[in-house]
Amino acid sequence: MTTVTDNSSLPHYTARSMAIHSLSAFAGEALALGLATGPVCLASCGPVVLPWMLVQPRGLRTHSTQLSLFLAARLAGYLLFAAAVWTAGSAIPHAWVGRSWLLGGTQLLLAGALFVYAAGFPHPRCARSASAAPLVHIGDSPHPRRSGAATLGFLTGINLCPPFLVAGVRAALLATLPSALIYFAFFFIGTSVWFAPFLSLSVVRRTPSLVTVARMVAVLLACWYGVSGALILMEKVVYG
Amino acid sequence: MASRSSAVLHPRVFRSVGRSLLLTLPMALWSLLMFTPSLRQSRRDVTIGSAIVIAFMTTLFYLMVRTGNTYRWRRCFFVALGFLFPIGFISALIAVRGTMSIPIERMVSGDTPFCFMVTPMLVIPAAFTRTIIFPGSILPTSSNPHSIAVMIGLWLAMTLVLGKAWCSYGCFFGGIEEGFAAVRKRAKIRRTVDKFAPRLRLIPWALLIVVVALSAALMEPIYCMWLCPFKTVTEYPAVHSVETAIQMGIFIVLFAGLVVVLPYLTKKRTQCAFFCPFGAFQSIFNKINPFEIRIDREKCVDCTLCQTTCPTMALSKESIREGKTLMNCMKCGACVDSCNKDAAVWHLKGTRVGLHPERARLLFLYGAWAMATMFGGSILANSLATMIRFLPKIHSMLLK
Ligand code: SF4
Ligand code: SF4
Repeated sequence: MTTVTDNSSLPHYTARSMAIHSLSAFAGEALALGLATGPVCLASCGPVVLPWMLVQPRGLRTHSTQLSLFLAARLAGYLLFAAAVWTAGSAIPHAWVGRSWLLGGTQLLLAGALFVYAAGFPHPRCARSASAAPLVHIGDSPHPRRSGAATLGFLTGINLCPPFLVAGVRAALLATLPSALIYFAFFFIGTSVWFAPFLSLSVVRRTPSLVTVARMVAVLLACWYGVSGALILMEKVVYG
Repeated sequence: MASRSSAVLHPRVFRSVGRSLLLTLPMALWSLLMFTPSLRQSRRDVTIGSAIVIAFMTTLFYLMVRTGNTYRWRRCFFVALGFLFPIGFISALIAVRGTMSIPIERMVSGDTPFCFMVTPMLVIPAAFTRTIIFPGSILPTSSNPHSIAVMIGLWLAMTLVLGKAWCSYGCFFGGIEEGFAAVRKRAKIRRTVDKFAPRLRLIPWALLIVVVALSAALMEPIYCMWLCPFKTVTEYPAVHSVETAIQMGIFIVLFAGLVVVLPYLTKKRTQCAFFCPFGAFQSIFNKINPFEIRIDREKCVDCTLCQTTCPTMALSKESIREGKTLMNCMKCGACVDSCNKDAAVWHLKGTRVGLHPERARLLFLYGAWAMATMFGGSILANSLATMIRFLPKIHSMLLK
């Protein structure tokens, strides 16, 4: 690695650059995971969001405000979940000898979950796990309902679909609470890209190649987690 | 229609020798200009290598102009580039280091020549952390002239001129599979490839997303470390652990499958079409490039011959019906040369489709061939010089 401002080819690390490196590290992973699993979020939240968007008064401005509110509340749900899973994860002591086994095993489980997701999308469980429509049913209204957008966003934000759990397990294993929160924030950005087409009402459905690319990304990420999990376990077996 | 047809020079009608020579003259001068410094050198191997390349590139351009055929002559250059690059590269590595593998300490000291494949992986880390995640030196050094700054500058210039045509006039890897794809007369596997092509074509995009995100995540060029098939014929990290052994295994399997066996069986450039994330990245630049291939719907009879010929599956029935190629067209010219209705044509964006296709082809070729001579030509000259240097040694080794 080479610092751009430095003409020497040797690495030049400071505490700040180390912090930025590690931030970029899990942010990149979370973003990729979000982008890859976004369609499942769409499948899970779409049935709730789409009818609700359709009954909102027309106009790009109204729809943008509503979607922003929805996404903001969804982010709040994500961050709350990240804090909860990290607290649970940090209960495991760092010096515990089984930590490598847990880490390797978790990576393999993540790989399995992503494979299942990629093979069986949209998984029926995702549709069921979405917030029930009656809870947030708003009805045909001539005025935009802000509380409705926020409620919908928050409830879909804490729904336990497989990609969400995958991200949750990763966040639980991170070293600090801010890292877990940043991880979920980037995961949120990745998944939210898939919601933008709601503004023009389901462009995604007209371009199935996007969904196929997302599924391929999930398979490739699953391979990555699989190999890195297997390597962790192999090292544990070989070196103890 | 009649007047339009008469204005079109039939691509397979030979130009006169005089006119062809005249049109080749600028390219001959460009080649001379490019290689003048090498010709002036006192080293005989460099002078001979450069002289051969000037003659080779100028002759191929002349043949493209005279015959109206692009694909066949371009392929001669491209396959030569694909096979001579590793020969020159490996010989130099063995002469300098005695091995193709790079020890970790040399990698850390920035002794790795920069490869353009890594470009998309550099963007996010460079933007957010001002770090280039490649173990090469930024500025040229005496031991490594192929520094990051030089190679990115070259890539940028070529991309602006060529767009995705980089993949058929610039890339020093694509020629290897194009060579293997040219061996058989007919494809052994065709239907399966056709059937799965719409999905397979999306793999490079998925790989691009994954390698860019994971490279940013882990601050290392993931593609180079785990997935590049061409490590097999260039430079790889020394195998010293289970992890590096797995990496080496992946390189070899990918190279054998995607670059040798599948191109041989399918007559397609399978690695370029269905794997290379850098190719997907280059496709984005096709949008800003003024040249493209179009299908003149008034002449097309939907025989799909062009689709069958295309080495990267950049045509589908739907795209032909729309009169366009897909985004991954690398402007190799195979479809144009194969269409016997003159419906597949070179096109300058903003003009009417089929109006002056030969003019558009020549305009494109001047830019593309100039770049090919500058970049690929110097690689060829370098490889030839290395081979000439090593010939006596190999000869004496054989005699012993
Ligand atoms: S080969 Fe020519 S006529 Fe046949 S489908 Fe292609 S463009 Fe149309
Ligand atoms: S569409 Fe034509 S020019 Fe483009 S890659 Fe295919 S054969 Fe080559």
